[in-house]
Amino acid sequence: MQPETIIYPFAALVGQEEMKKGLLLNAVNPKLSGILIRGEKGTAKSTAVRALAALLPEIEVVADCPFSCDPADITTMCSSCRHRLEAGEELPRTRRRMRVVDLPVSATEDRVVGTLDIERAIKKGEKHFEPGVLAQANRGILYVDEVNLLDDHVVDVLLDSAAMGVNTVEREGVSFTHPANFILVGTMNPEEGELRPQLLDRFGLCVNITGILDPGERVEIIKRRVAFEEDPEGFIARWEGEQEKLRRQILTAIEILPQVEMPEEILYLIAKIAIEMGVDGHRADLVMMKAARTMAALDGRTEVIPGDVYAIVNLALLHRMRRQPFQEMHVDQAKLREVLAQ
Amino acid sequence: MLTYKRFIYPFTAIIGQEKMQKGLILNAINPRLGGILIRGEKGTAKSTAVRALAALLPEIEVVAGCPYNCDPEDYNRLCLNCREKLGRGERLPRARRRVPVIDLPISATEDRLVGSLDFEYAIKHGRPRFEPGILARANRGIIYVDEVNLLDDHLVDVLLDAAAMGVNIVEREGISYTHPAEFILVGTMNPEEGELRPQLLDRFGLCVQIEGVHDPGQRVEIIKRRGAFEADPLRFLTQWAGEEERLREKILTARQILPRVTIREELLALIARLCVETCTAGHRADIIMTVTARTIAALAGREEVTEADVQEAAELVLPHRVREAPAPPPEQSQPPETREEPPQQEENPESTPEQAEAPPEQPRENDGQESGEEPHGEEHKGEPEEGENSPAPPQGQDVVFAVGQPFAVRRITHGRDRILRKGSGRRSRTRTATRAGRYVRATAWLQNNDLAFDATLRAAAPHQVYREKNGMAIAIEKEDFRSKVREKRIGNFLLFVVDASGSMGAQQRMVETKGAILSLLLDAYQKRDKIGLVAFKGKTAEVLLPPTNSVEMGYKLLQELPTGGRTPLAAGLLKAYDIIKTHFYKDPNLDPLLILISDGRANVSIGEDKPLLEARRVAEIIHNDARIKTLVVDVEKDGLVTFGLARELAAALGAEYYRIDELKAGTLVQVVREMQGSGAVAKLKEIC
Repeated sequence: MQPETIIYPFAALVGQEEMKKGLLLNAVNPKLSGILIRGEKGTAKSTAVRALAALLPEIEVVADCPFSCDPADITTMCSSCRHRLEAGEELPRTRRRMRVVDLPVSATEDRVVGTLDIERAIKKGEKHFEPGVLAQANRGILYVDEVNLLDDHVVDVLLDSAAMGVNTVEREGVSFTHPANFILVGTMNPEEGELRPQLLDRFGLCVNITGILDPGERVEIIKRRVAFEEDPEGFIARWEGEQEKLRRQILTAIEILPQVEMPEEILYLIAKIAIEMGVDGHRADLVMMKAARTMAALDGRTEVIPGDVYAIVNLALLHRMRRQPFQEMHVDQAKLREVLAQ
Repeated sequence: MLTYKRFIYPFTAIIGQEKMQKGLILNAINPRLGGILIRGEKGTAKSTAVRALAALLPEIEVVAGCPYNCDPEDYNRLCLNCREKLGRGERLPRARRRVPVIDLPISATEDRLVGSLDFEYAIKHGRPRFEPGILARANRGIIYVDEVNLLDDHLVDVLLDAAAMGVNIVEREGISYTHPAEFILVGTMNPEEGELRPQLLDRFGLCVQIEGVHDPGQRVEIIKRRGAFEADPLRFLTQWAGEEERLREKILTARQILPRVTIREELLALIARLCVETCTAGHRADIIMTVTARTIAALAGREEVTEADVQEAAELVLPHRVREAPAPPPEQSQPPETREEPPQQEENPESTPEQAEAPPEQPRENDGQESGEEPHGEEHKGEPEEGENSPAPPQGQDVVFAVGQPFAVRRITHGRDRILRKGSGRRSRTRTATRAGRYVRATAWLQNNDLAFDATLRAAAPHQVYREKNGMAIAIEKEDFRSKVREKRIGNFLLFVVDASGSMGAQQRMVETKGAILSLLLDAYQKRDKIGLVAFKGKTAEVLLPPTNSVEMGYKLLQELPTGGRTPLAAGLLKAYDIIKTHFYKDPNLDPLLILISDGRANVSIGEDKPLLEARRVAEIIHNDARIKTLVVDVEKDGLVTFGLARELAAALGAEYYRIDELKAGTLVQVVREMQGSGAVAKLKEIC
């Protein structure tokens, strides 16, 4: 395991543009409810996620809070921090990098949502909540490798929390609520089986990735990786300029996102795409709207243009296309071009 | 504690789902409608609508502080506490509250649903007390189950019991308690994920089928409203407060009118006729249709039911109750689902002369089946004509047959054992290592942090005399801990061993066989099974698909599977046995089911023995391995000559034996028909 500080720079990743785009969009706008990355092993999925966390600006947290509450924002605080603040206590502050929390495939529901501290309960007759992975992931990134191998109901809980920003635990007479705002990144290898359509639908974006076939790019990947492994500090220092540029772009995007305007004709474009491409339900429309706005913000604009929609349409539609049972997942690019050309 | 106030999207701001909205409003007016089932694709505002309904419901009067929301006016339905209070001569304090809408998550445990022992109270005060569960909170309210078709069977049983009696009877964990539990059941489901049990289906008074909106203008409006709501929920809610209030008043008015609404005799006759003609089971449909029609009239502000009201009611009440007409007369040799597909002629014209000669029949009505791209089947009447004389494709030439019509598969499960398994799925019962599932008994071995409070308290009881109590009523030490042993359904590993030899090509057997395998695959998907695929033909057997969860891969390979050559049955079985054995190393708790699909006519051997004898030997080896269960699907058809070889092989394997048409489950009910263009609505138009 490498020490925390030595992480491959996001800006130095070669290729996989769709995945990087999807990750950046989620970093700017967590309301996109996550991204599902489908693809083979060894395609820099996990590297990219960790790199993203290192790229994002540090956050200020309440030092001793299990939920990493933001000391400056009382509306998103957990109950204990809020009580302390209301009691006039000064909350201890600290700054740290955004966390990437890994959820192992073997995770049980208890570990995810948190559980009742049985020993304390039984000995003292008190109900005490033991926070789980969702608590740790608050204000960070929750990375679920092989999400299709998780138990269905664990995935359910995850997606529920991701959508609501809140984790509600109700078991054995305990009822506890805490903030759970996180960027959900799931990966899967489709050969191991699919996710249920409902669960798929609730990931905001989805991307299929394959190994890079261009020899030039492959060589570049090897070179950079070797350079990084030989001299990590030097490599990171060389890329710091690029990283900083990207970081500023994200920060600006976060700032201007609320002001981004959505012209009427773009909404019609989105509706047309959804109808003509035959997607189920209306989530695709909403995601396309949000993603297009975020795309505009990333580009530093406060008005959405059709190009923003084109840029995100594959990310939003891939997992929402209506298909025959057992058919493979894909977006018909020819049809898409036809729709867009109309 | 801080509760994160969730803003709920207003009911009246939902666009384009009028039928669902109407169904929900009708339930809000009249709780006797018995709830509603919403079937439809994902992302069509199903959950949004149900949550939004809660905000619209009128307030009810309850006994203040009663966990069961007792009605102070209704002595007969009071809970035990309230009765006791009245008995002591106390007055019941009153309060008004919204009708409760309670979510039942599909991962809920049985304790959460029915209630359990309040351990905190028990430890502090040394007395057992019942801690109410979801059924208690939902009394006089609504229970909402998202994806109700995925609910565990044992929870469904509990729900059905309570719904039928209006009472929740708890006999568990050393407590025995009864409380009123009258609730409206609202469920949503996506039919792709499997159907509901008919008993549960019948519990829902109404049923609507919904889909996304196709009009661009409406879609844009949906995006805009949702966007506005998410950007500033408070402002959005204020904007819609007027609309909401108007609808709330309309519901209240309708409630007042409802008792006065009358229905003419001839309309009652119409209702009865509708129910008879659509072959609904029992009389619930008649009753609910009448109540629904009256409620519709009340909503429209009328005191008299019209024919249009009945028609509208029928569309809500009948769809999930329509049954297939009684079985066709015996002359018709095959039920419609077994239709064979015409082969892909261009690939292999010579193998199917009888197809080419047969006069093309009218394509049948393609009822309730979505895959429009598959060619319509032609009905085969003259079974014997196309008997054994239809030539098999020439040896050595492989043919790829189309996949036949899928059908619902009968229930295939395993026996139970005591091994703990992790995972989810819906096929066999198993002891589970996770905390989901039904609590069957307690054990002294603490695992999963899944404490059985009742057993723990019992274990601690004898030691109370000499233990230090620290202010508690009961002192519990670590050695008293007991945990729950739970049982639930999980998926299995299904290994398909498919005969792809030339003899399977005769009479389009392969088409039907592929149809059967597809049906089993669909079933495997819904039950979350792991699958594998072995095919044998020519001289060898081949592992086409190593064990995986990807049913999609299975389907793809099935489509491409060629047929031709001789029948190395023994090789196929041996290969399958190898796969299962290796898989046992990876996962010793594996619960494999080997499914052999063949006519049993082995004609190639691996070694010196006669092929048939060799196959039987391998079969016996597999039989001797008690861990493996087997199922033989015989594809031999009744013709002039039948050999019954597959049946003999099944005996050697100790396998369950089905003929291909016995696999079908859908003999009596095709559970819910697609509403558009078929079933209830069409019939209704005809009659009215």
